[in-house]
Amino acid sequence: MIELLRRVRDVDPDRPAVVTHDGTATYGDLHAAAESIARALTESAISRIAVTDVEAAGVIPALAGASRVGTEACIYPPAEPAEITDLLARFDHHDCIAGSPDVDHLAKPLGAPSENASLPSDTPEERPHLVLTTGTTGTPRGVRHDWNRLLRGVERVEPAPEDRWLLAYGIHQFAGLQVLLHVAAAGSTLVAPTPRRPREGLRAIRELGVTHLSATPTYWRFLLAEMQSDGGGSPPLRQITLGGEAIPGTLLEKLGQVFPDARISQVYAASEFGSSGSVRDGQAGLPIDVIGRDEDAPVDMKVVDGQLWMRSRTGMLGYYGEESVDADGWRPTGDLVEVVGDRILFRGRTSEVINVGGVKIHPLPIENLVAGVPGVAICRVHGRPSPVTGSIVAVEVVLLPGHADADVRSAIRAACSELPAAARPRSITFVDSVTTIGNKVIRSTS
Amino acid sequence: MTNSTTDVENVIREYLTMVEKVPETFDGDVKLFADGVGLDSLETAELSAILEDHFGNDPYSAGDTPETVGEILRFYSVQGAEAS
Repeated sequence: MIELLRRVRDVDPDRPAVVTHDGTATYGDLHAAAESIARALTESAISRIAVTDVEAAGVIPALAGASRVGTEACIYPPAEPAEITDLLARFDHHDCIAGSPDVDHLAKPLGAPSENASLPSDTPEERPHLVLTTGTTGTPRGVRHDWNRLLRGVERVEPAPEDRWLLAYGIHQFAGLQVLLHVAAAGSTLVAPTPRRPREGLRAIRELGVTHLSATPTYWRFLLAEMQSDGGGSPPLRQITLGGEAIPGTLLEKLGQVFPDARISQVYAASEFGSSGSVRDGQAGLPIDVIGRDEDAPVDMKVVDGQLWMRSRTGMLGYYGEESVDADGWRPTGDLVEVVGDRILFRGRTSEVINVGGVKIHPLPIENLVAGVPGVAICRVHGRPSPVTGSIVAVEVVLLPGHADADVRSAIRAACSELPAAARPRSITFVDSVTTIGNKVIRSTS
Repeated sequence: MTNSTTDVENVIREYLTMVEKVPETFDGDVKLFADGVGLDSLETAELSAILEDHFGNDPYSAGDTPETVGEILRFYSVQGAEAS
């Protein structure tokens, strides 16, 4: 990681690396801070450290410094002290970067290096990094990565010093790390508003010259809703990337209409499996040729009993506290898919299946149907416990301004009338916002 | 919304109207299942959810299986009596 910062620092140290409404950090600034952290880590012989800073300009030097000396850094999500305390205990962290008075007694904050502190001449062979999953299906897990593998994915990125990427993910998320690696490899600029909600994202896009944006479909839906509300027109984005959740064709079409000059890419990636590359044909799902690649391919896929399985040599080493996984082994992704013609279409997650009187219902196709109903800004389909059938399909809806709930309720019922009886929403409620974690809709809970 | 008899009747009537199963004569004797308006299990589950949304609880979730409109009304009237 630090080598990417150094590469830009060597030719243009004053190039903006991180931009916020409050200021700019250059590649030279970040590299100097990273070297200072690397010296401090070496001097204190720290092998593992938690990063509790939430600002990109603080997190990036921590990552780069740790990667320089082989310290396993783990970026924590923005969280209340109680959750930080829980994570420190769960992942056995006794040192931290940034810290706060609430947790300093549990994890010692990294100090500045002494004047005599030096760096080892070589970068170590093993350079671990720990990513926490977003915990959409429960408690976060630690996913062990290695910088050498992570950097392999950006070896062929072309320089693009004029590009400005919005940081819509946290760098603690694997997707955010991917954006950071791409930006640093291209020598581009990261625009990092705080907080990272779509409203602040839209403001940053408009005011800080964002040209590229990678985000979840949920983030994009909220962003489109925010744009409709503020009436400010479509910003001139040149690159739109979606990933992290299933991507409906209707959303791709909408984005194509709103941002006619942007290239649209879909990424299939996960903390555990790494990235399998991107699809740019504008159609929902993956092309069938991702299945059955050559033995030498770093990533291969297959469909087993309706679930996508992957073999990845670019993914994780293993989970925290567990043995390393076999890079040549096949593992289930948890994504339910259906092969339709020459496409692999996503139907939902195994953890999201709703059991309605013994009939297994996938929420995603229903959600896509409801999302297309006029007046629906955002929706979430999930299972609701029922004393009669075990569960029923329920939908929460955020209305667009100017629409009446009774009209939208009738329209939703009409739109879903052709679905099998068990799949029709039996509970329709109108809410101010839907539950998300890491800008992903949570469908597994009631 | 209170759980007065009128309010509960209105919610049930609205639901039966929505699923196009409202009887010509709507009163407590209306049977909900096969030999009455013919709610199936999914429609019953839906009615249960709607009643819970309006009144905070419903007879099905409480373990009852009311077979007539009147039995649903009695569930809420007993609750109202116990609360007062």
